Parts: sequence; structure tokens; C-alpha cells
Amino acid sequence: MVDQAYLEANGLSFNDTVSIINAGRKVELIVVGTAISPEFTFIMKDAASFMPDPETFGLVMMPLNQAQQVLDLPGQINQVLIKLTPGADEEKVAAEVEAILAPYGNLTSYPLKDQLSNAVLQGELDSLKAVARFMPALFLGIAAAIQMVMLGRMIRAQRLQIGIMKALGYNNRQIMTLYTAYSLSTSLIGSLLGTLLGMGLASAMSGLYADFFNLPRAIGGINSFAVLSGLGLSLLVGASSGLFVSRGVLAINPAEAMRPEPPKMAGSIFLERVTWFWRQLDSTWRMSLRTALRNRGRFATVLAGVTVSVGMLVISLFTNDIVDYMIQKQYYVNQRHDYLVRFENPVQESNLTEIFCIDGVIRTEPIFEIPVKINFQGKSEDDLLQGIPQDATLKLLEDRQERPLRVPNVGLLINEKTAAKLGVREGDRVEVETRFNTGPKRLSELTIVGVSRQLVGSGSFVSLGQANLVIQERRLVSGVMLKVDPGLAATVEEKLDDMNRVASILSRQKELDTFNEYTGVMIYSITIMVAFAVVMGFAIVYNASMISFIERKRELAALRVLGFTNREVSVLLLKENLLQSLLGVAVGLPFGRLLGQAYINTASTDLFTMPVVIYPMTYVWAALGGILFIAAAHLLAVRGVRGLDLVNVLKNGD
Amino acid sequence: MNENILMKLERVTKTYQMGEVRVEALKETSLDIYEGELLVILGPSGSGKSTLLNIVGGMDLPTTGSVYYREMDLAQAGDAQLTRYRRNEVGFVFQYYNLIPDLTARENVELAAGLVDGPLSTDSVLAAVGLGDRMGHFPSQLSGGEQQRVSIARAMVKKPRLLLCDEPTGALDNLTGRMILGLLEAANREQGCTVVIVTHNTSISDMAHRVVRMSSGAAAEIIVNSEPLSPERIEW
Repeated sequence: MVDQAYLEANGLSFNDTVSIINAGRKVELIVVGTAISPEFTFIMKDAASFMPDPETFGLVMMPLNQAQQVLDLPGQINQVLIKLTPGADEEKVAAEVEAILAPYGNLTSYPLKDQLSNAVLQGELDSLKAVARFMPALFLGIAAAIQMVMLGRMIRAQRLQIGIMKALGYNNRQIMTLYTAYSLSTSLIGSLLGTLLGMGLASAMSGLYADFFNLPRAIGGINSFAVLSGLGLSLLVGASSGLFVSRGVLAINPAEAMRPEPPKMAGSIFLERVTWFWRQLDSTWRMSLRTALRNRGRFATVLAGVTVSVGMLVISLFTNDIVDYMIQKQYYVNQRHDYLVRFENPVQESNLTEIFCIDGVIRTEPIFEIPVKINFQGKSEDDLLQGIPQDATLKLLEDRQERPLRVPNVGLLINEKTAAKLGVREGDRVEVETRFNTGPKRLSELTIVGVSRQLVGSGSFVSLGQANLVIQERRLVSGVMLKVDPGLAATVEEKLDDMNRVASILSRQKELDTFNEYTGVMIYSITIMVAFAVVMGFAIVYNASMISFIERKRELAALRVLGFTNREVSVLLLKENLLQSLLGVAVGLPFGRLLGQAYINTASTDLFTMPVVIYPMTYVWAALGGILFIAAAHLLAVRGVRGLDLVNVLKNGD
Repeated sequence: MNENILMKLERVTKTYQMGEVRVEALKETSLDIYEGELLVILGPSGSGKSTLLNIVGGMDLPTTGSVYYREMDLAQAGDAQLTRYRRNEVGFVFQYYNLIPDLTARENVELAAGLVDGPLSTDSVLAAVGLGDRMGHFPSQLSGGEQQRVSIARAMVKKPRLLLCDEPTGALDNLTGRMILGLLEAANREQGCTVVIVTHNTSISDMAHRVVRMSSGAAAEIIVNSEPLSPERIEW
């Protein structure tokens, strides 16, 4: 049985054959089904790989005895999975097991948290959890604010009706119940629709996760707890915002309510104290500023809404920046080789001439990779020691400040993440323990001469000579990095394929292609986030503009009668909107960066170190996106200016 | 007052559809308005006087008939033309003032002044209506009479040829009402502005050069006042 992704990537179907090569012997196997296993939800060849590549690397499962037969290793195993009883001391068990198995060869053991598939999946789930914690709070907060603004407006508009109801004998509680019920029923309808939409989106999203992580399709399903708590929370927010705003009913006196409304209270605003500034403004600007600042609740709602929307736009777009930056760094700055060829067993450096002579190879640089455990003051971490020439040009190293680093002749350039976990600094001496599957274990002491940063994957660096010293050999290499003529890449690859002793060929182009294929999940979530951000921002600005328009119909009609054109009246409303919206955009951009920082802190894993990289264009796009939804909402809201009824609006009151 | 016709209304009708009911607010009404006259349109509620004022003011279009302001037929004008007409030629004074609550008295007047070329000075117009010391106040800080005076200043600052007033004293007490009428009369007398006042208050007609008495959507009677009274002498 093979894994689903391998099956699909290679266009296999049941009863097809796949051949495996074991010690130079080819064995044909028939595909009878697909299977998955929890430790292979994210199938990567080794820690040095960047992304899964199901076309060239997959999982084949068969009964143990059959595997032993096929591989010609009767009675042998090379891996044991251990399930611990609850409360067991993980480290103690591992030490005991390692001691028991020590005579059978060099051994590596991983706790669940370090297991690659588990670490990647857990990392993804953790970042989803982080999003799931702050998103609903954000959306419910904004929904509550919109509802309060709308309901507040409704109560003001229905002052006369409320007055009449009171005059007829209805008491405050009865009238407040009416408005709370209204708020509750809109929440109910909204949350029912939202639940349906959410179920659709959840199913699409879990489908993508299933594909990405080789999970069974059945993981979707309806989470009744999520549905019920979503409904419950929405209703709670609806009821409490309704109850909060309907207190406005208490202040309405029936006799006053039936008289025309006195002019709205207005007064000076703080900006007027900046006299030189205030003097530059004409009456329309003054009017817009005073109106915007007088309605503080609405002002704050729009400001908060636009800030959050633009912040979300920044964070959704900057995910793209990070990935782009990481690709640039990984594939164009640090890793300059087109191919990394690994041998089945280490070879003499002089043997590389054979590869250098292949037509199309421009440059070769040797590399020696040694799986190791680095020990320091009782702590230990697995790492991949990479020995490269001191004058390497096909692999460039950088420190945390992105300054170039040179591999020292003696000593170790430790990986930033390993250094942090072990708590080591420059000058410390660490013990390096080799962890080959076979052969004796070698121990050596190395001084840390620097800390290197790698955004993708892990690995600490030494000179080629130092690597040989660690395994007590001379001039051995485990692989070679190649720079090739792009026009001849295919033939170079073919020739390498045919070579004995070549275990694997990693192609930069292929890694890049695979990576691009895997960005589907990311693009999906970016699209959803952008859509949410835009819809939310639009809804808030539209509601606020509508309310402002409706409340001021009379005022605006008066301006039309005075001789203001439709356009001039629309511009007046726009000025008012601009103030709060542009302020929202301005605050939203740095807010997005803060959100991004928080998000990155939860999303960085052992596999990826995510830098907070935001390209200037991202701010420009986010700001443009913000301005676009503000403009659209505004234009839609002020359509009514054309239809202002100059005759009736100016008659007695409302 | 001279005999030049400023506006000529010919066989003007206005019909509204109110739900399922058709209301004929104006029935074939013809009327000339002379340059520089003070005209009072008098009538009870529903007599069509406000409809007539709305049509004269370019706020509403007649269903049939023509409304000439000099050479321009308002009945055929588009929205842009009507806006221009209201902006450059007409000043309005409403029963409920319709001031912008977020602007001070001075800013309310400035707002209107900004609409035309060569307006009067804001301060002098406000001083002329007796509000020289209240210019920095917001409408909510002014009495009804004061708000109406701001409203008159806002109308006059544009130097309109035609000042249209819809129940300008309707929300005010006697004393304040008379003061407002005095300002309107002064605008007519001193600046030669044609003033049309719509009211149901018969006493006000005593100060008019001519009175149009509206009844059931038609001009039932037009009375010429040979000796109009000054506003101070009007009682109600």
C-alpha cells in the first residue's frame, strides 16, 4: 500500500507496479491500496528537505515479514514506536530503551513533539488556535458595535412612536423588551446564516488540510459544540447590545417626544483650539469635523472597524511577503546550488572529478552531512552537521543580523534554533555525538564560534576538515553541491541519475515548483481573510454613512435648497467619512504589523523561522484596499442624496 | 415696487399621489410676481399656498403649466438648472429655521455666502439682524427668534432677487414675530428684494403690497394694498 499523495503524484492506480531498489537489487511491488499513518501526515525525506515532494518520495507499507523478505533483512527491524502509559517519565524511558538497544547500533529517539509530522501539524494547529482565539472576539465586538449604533439610531428615529406608546400606557420594560427582541432576532437570523456559511467554509478548509496533511477526508464533519457555542455567543452579544442601547428608551418623555426635536446640541471641538489650523478650514470642513467628532460612539466604531479591517488586510497580504522573502533567502541568497547530490556512503573528495566532468556542470563544491546530537550542560538537541569548504560560494551563511558568515577552520557555527534550545553562546564548548544508523558513535568537543540563521530547515556548520575530524576520517564527502548550465540541466540530471552511489538528487527548481504547489492552503486562507476584512470594513463604513445620511436628511435637504448641488452635498458627507476612515487606515497599518508580529510568534516552528517581513508595497495595497472599500461604501450610502425630498423634509420636523 | 414682472405663473397645476388618493394641490393657478414687491400668500392649511411657494422656489415642479422666472421656464428646467436658480437667485426662510446645528451663527451664514460670487459681508448682515454679539453661538444656544434671524441673514447674504418665506413667524411669539417681519420688510424696502411670505396669519397681509388669498388649490382673490402697514403696527 502506498500513501495517497504518492499515488496521485505518480498517476498510479491499483494493481500497478512500483519497483524499489534495495542494495542494487530491483524488486517489483504491486499497489493494492492506499494507507496513511499518523507519523506520516507530512512526508518529508529528511530534515534538510524544505517541502514534501510526493512525486519522488512516498511511503510504501507492507506487512513486517514481507518487508524483511523484500529487503533481505530477515528478523530485523530499524524502528520501534513506543506508547507510554500516562504519567510515565518520557526521558527516563528513552534513556533506558537507548541503553537496551545501544549494542545494536547507533540510535536516535524522538519524543512525539519532535516527530516531524506531529511538529508540523501541531504548529499549524497552534497557529489556527491563535487565530481562533482573537478572531471571534474581534468580529463579535465589531458586530456588537454596529448593532448598538444601528439600534441607537432606530430608537432616536422612533422617538415619536415610543412617546405614543408611553402615552398609551406601555411601560419602559415592555418597550425595551421590544427593541431587545429586535436585536436578538437579527442576531438569530445572522448567526443561522453565518453557521451555514461557516459550515461550508469549514468543510472546504478541512478538505485542503486533508490534502496537505494526508489526512482522511472524514476529518470535516459538523462540530456541534462549535455550532452551538457560535449561536450562543452571537445571541448573547445580540441580547446584551440590545439591552444596553434600549436604555435610551428610558430618557424619552412622552410629551416631549411628540414635539418637534430641538436642535442637536453642538459645541466647539478640541481642534478649534489650534486656531491657525481651524482658520484654514471653510464652513463645510468645520461642519464635517464637528459632526464626526460629536458622534463619538459612531466615530469610535468606524475608526475601530477600519483599523481592524486594514490591519487584517496587512496581515493577510504579508503572509505572502514572508513566504516570498523566505524563498528569496533560501533559494536565491543562501542556497546558490542548482542540485544537491547525496551519496549512499561517504566518498573521497577526489571522486568528485567524475561529476565535475559532466558536460554542463559549472561548479562543484563538496559537502559532508552528519546527523548529530549536540550536548551541553545536560541538555541535548538533534541537528544536522554540515561540513562545507571555507570558501564555499554555493552555500552562503548569515548571522542573525543578516551579515555574511564564514565557516571557521576549527569550531562550530551553530544553528540559531539549536543554540536557543541549548542556551549556548559564542565561546561555549559543546559535545557533538554522531548518530549514523550504523557504525560506531564518535564524540568530539567543539567550540561555538558563531550563530547562523537559517529560515528554512535546520543545520549547523563546520569546515569540511572539521567534519572529517568529527568522524575521524580524512578528505571524505557525503555529497556535492552543483551549479549547472541551465540549458543542460536535464542532461546533467540524467547522467547523475545513472551514477552508482548516488542516493538522491535534490533539485532547486523542483523544490521551488513543489513549494508553489503547496501554497494553495495559504492562498485560500489569505483570500478568506481578505474577503472578511473587506466585507467587515465595508459593512461598518456603509452602516455609519447610512446612519449619518438618514439622521441628517433634513440638514442636507436644507443645503440643497440653499443651492448646494448633489455633488457638493455628497462631498460634504465624504469629508466627514474621510476623517474617521483615513485615520482608521493610518492606525490600521501599524496595527497590522503588530498583529503580524503576534501571529508570527505563534506560527514559527522548528522547521521554519518566520521573520516579520512586510514589504512597503503591502502597506500600499492594504491602504488602497481600505480606501476602496471606504469609497464603495460611501458611494452606495450617499446614493440617497439624489432622492432627497426637498419639500417634505423641510416641513415640520420628522 | 415697479411693474416689471419677475415671475410669471401660467395655469399651474400640481397633483400628488398620496397612497391610493390623488390630491390636487394646485388647480390651474396663474400669478405674476413683480420685481421689488412684498407679496403675501394667505390661506388655511391645505389651500395650496406652500405648494405654490415650493414651485416658485424651484424645489418642486408643477404637473402642468409654466413658471417663468424672467426668460427661464422653471417647469422645464432640470435639476442642475433648478439648483443654480436656487443658489443664485433665491433666499429661503423656513418656519423651523433649518440651520446647520454643527455650525455657529456666523458659519451658517458663511456657508451660504460661499455659494455665490460677491456676497455681502457676513458680519454686517448678522449685525443688521441684531446678532452682532451672538455670532459665535451654535443654534442650540440661540432662542427661536435668534435662530430665525440667523436664517434671514443666511438668506440675505447671497443678495437674492427673490426671498421666499414659509410661515416665518409660525413658531414665534408676537413680539419676536413682529421683529422678524420688520427684517423682511427692511430687506424689501432697503435692498429692493422681492419678498414672498406664505402664511395663514391674516394680520401679516396688512404689510403686503399685494395679497393672494388661496383657497382649495387656487388663487381665489388678489388684493392690492394701497397703504401697507409697517410691521410694528401689525397686531395678532
